[in-house]
Amino acid sequence: MLIEILEKNGSKIIRHDENIIIALVSNKKLKKVAKELFDAGCYYATGVGVDERPKNGAFAMYHILNCEDEKRYVIIKTFAEELKIPSITPVICGANWAEREAMDMIGIEFEGHPEPERLIMPDDWPNGVYPLRKEFHYNQKVPAIEVKPKKRKKDPKIMEVPVGPFHPTLHEPESFELYIEGEKIVGASYRGFHVHRGLEKLAEERLTLNQVPFLAERICGICGFTHNCAYCQAVEDAAKIEVPERAEYIRTILLEVERLHSHLLWFGVACHLLGFDSGFMHTWRIREAFMDIAELLTGNRKTYGMNLVGGVRRDIDENKKKKLLEILDKTKKETKEILDNVAEMKELINRMEGVGVLPKKEAREIGVVGPVARASGIDTDIRRDHPYAAYGELDFKVPVYKEGDVLARFLVRYEETFESFWIVEQALDQMPQGEILNEDYELPEFAYGLGYTEAPRGEDVHFVITEGGNKLYRWRPRAPTYNNLPAVPIMLMGEKLADAPIIIASIDPCFSCTDHVAIIEKGRVCRCSLEEYLRLKR
Amino acid sequence: MNFLVVINILFALIFAPLFDGFERKVKARLQNRQGPSIFQTWWDLIKLFKRPPVIPSDSIKRLYILAPYITFTAVLTAYLIVPTLLPQSLNFAGDFILVIYLISLATLIFSLGAFSSGNPYAQLGSNREVSLLMSEELVLAFVVGILALIGRSLSFEILFPLPLKVSSILGLALLFVVIYVSSARIPFDIPEAEPEIIEGPLIEYSGKHLALLEYSIYLKRFLLYSLFLNFILPKETTIRTGGFLLGLIVLSIVYSSLEAYYGRFRLDQAIKLMKKLSAVALVAWLIALMGW
Repeated sequence: MLIEILEKNGSKIIRHDENIIIALVSNKKLKKVAKELFDAGCYYATGVGVDERPKNGAFAMYHILNCEDEKRYVIIKTFAEELKIPSITPVICGANWAEREAMDMIGIEFEGHPEPERLIMPDDWPNGVYPLRKEFHYNQKVPAIEVKPKKRKKDPKIMEVPVGPFHPTLHEPESFELYIEGEKIVGASYRGFHVHRGLEKLAEERLTLNQVPFLAERICGICGFTHNCAYCQAVEDAAKIEVPERAEYIRTILLEVERLHSHLLWFGVACHLLGFDSGFMHTWRIREAFMDIAELLTGNRKTYGMNLVGGVRRDIDENKKKKLLEILDKTKKETKEILDNVAEMKELINRMEGVGVLPKKEAREIGVVGPVARASGIDTDIRRDHPYAAYGELDFKVPVYKEGDVLARFLVRYEETFESFWIVEQALDQMPQGEILNEDYELPEFAYGLGYTEAPRGEDVHFVITEGGNKLYRWRPRAPTYNNLPAVPIMLMGEKLADAPIIIASIDPCFSCTDHVAIIEKGRVCRCSLEEYLRLKR
Repeated sequence: MNFLVVINILFALIFAPLFDGFERKVKARLQNRQGPSIFQTWWDLIKLFKRPPVIPSDSIKRLYILAPYITFTAVLTAYLIVPTLLPQSLNFAGDFILVIYLISLATLIFSLGAFSSGNPYAQLGSNREVSLLMSEELVLAFVVGILALIGRSLSFEILFPLPLKVSSILGLALLFVVIYVSSARIPFDIPEAEPEIIEGPLIEYSGKHLALLEYSIYLKRFLLYSLFLNFILPKETTIRTGGFLLGLIVLSIVYSSLEAYYGRFRLDQAIKLMKKLSAVALVAWLIALMGW
């Protein structure tokens, strides 16, 4: 079906296999193709702008879509004609951020974009300097330009409550501006990307193929392993590297250990935000066991440093396996006990039930992923739909809830936690003997690779274009929060201020993202400034 | 003998922060933590008194600066009437009402001062503080009614201690709950909710102003404990002093343990609960009216 849509519109198929279709689509047909793909059940995973001038003499944009019905990724590539590409945001609203990011970083203009404003770059960044173009170097310094902050009109009835850039609810710098009438939230805007670190540039210019996994691991302080796993899989996909089966199992075990500690961390934070500090302390006490497991298996509590392209660096021997099973057995009981206690507390459940609802339709349009999507009734899980590592040979359930509220997200994570225990046990049991690292490969020139993992927060996508030798031409990681965050203003609308922290936290945000304003009024998404919002209200 | 009231006040001034430190320790142990030393609250206060206060430029300055002093004085005045370690106090007809007034005055002035700071979080916090005060006031009014009916008086001199009756047990049980609510403990710490509105009314206060406000919160809790214990303890000095100290420790442990087992309510949930409680209080008042 997907291939038919692409062929019907005269696109040139570059690659076509079981998992991925890459097609070159003409500028005129782009919007039509995007619309048809969206209607065929694809959601927008991410978009990548690439400076291909040394190769093709043009800038290119890759839109990566995930089709859940066919369990396949579709990558549509377009070349910019005189730096212009038609925007697909009017058709798929999930493409908004990705297109604006390409606008900031590469300088492609997207025609018909509803809000062509800066997303990543700060306001004082000079115009016409694009950091991801090949002539810009990673250590280049640019002079800041002067910007005057816009003056804002105030409405005496509406109180502006800033949540961030520094706020005890948020553990990273990002800011939500909430507009409050009484205790009710009537509008919310988000500004982020305060901590953009230019990892992509660093990887292309400075690092070699096998150094990037260590950089990728440092994208996130909680789910780093899933990032470097996705990166390695992307390179393995591009270079067609066979990964030894034992290495696949070791990756699976570590991915699940990471999910366990990440979910427990979230339960703790959720308890704390709901004022139940005892729950917070006790979940984090149990979480310590998973840090110990990680230390046992990798030598590090966090930032494991285990992955290389083609396999892993350390083996799991019988002794470690025995110890691991012992710890798991003990913590499983403890986890069950504390989480059941939390789930039975009526006042906590009352605070979560029916709060921060994200309807399925909006969820699909924005393209939310992971537990947020599963709580809104979307049956998706990369581990099951696009089996990677050893997940294809393991058995696990994917919890799905229809309610779309905070409680549903809580319950999805609750069930996933116990599935993870089960996956680790199975993987340890079934793990075959053999090599753990395949170093016999050659990197092709200009090959595309896509790596995907189901991070604790959802689908994690890494797109790689190789340069040959031991270098990358382009690397684009996309963390799950990038897709989940645009849904937060929708969840916040009409809720009480008291519930804002738990709603923001319910997507388990992992921020790393600049100026973005989305205001929602009466359930309708309007992305505009405060002045426009106030005008609309009148 | 009235000069002994001074001893009572000194006792409260010294021991109120210590009891807070003790409660912190109890909570910490329940949460699987080591917890700070019980002197920590005192160290915090001493540190704050040494720091210069910062006054926000958006605030209504006089009101903002005056509020902590009035709050503190209002609570301290109540100690003249409610006996703590020693049974001596200044009593007159209707002093029960005055104590209730002084406690409410402290809360209201505290909210007013916070509201004048111009910070949106403080304004939200004071808004919540007042809403919560109003909802608990109804229950408190019934409690006063019950106790006054039992003792046929509005003076503490006659009310302390209460005779053993069904209605006095009910009245004290309700008072126990009201004390819990008005001492801003989880799940009723809605005005201060740290993850939601960052300590709400206290957010802009600093230095000695903050110290005074925090001090008056500890003193208020301590006052309410004493009030509760006075209704139970007999007046003879020998048993009373020992019983009083023991009672304080028991109340501290009970209240702080309760706190460790709850999550925070939303304002509307708390108000709904207080409404239900008022209905219960009404029934208890009717029982008292029957003279049971």
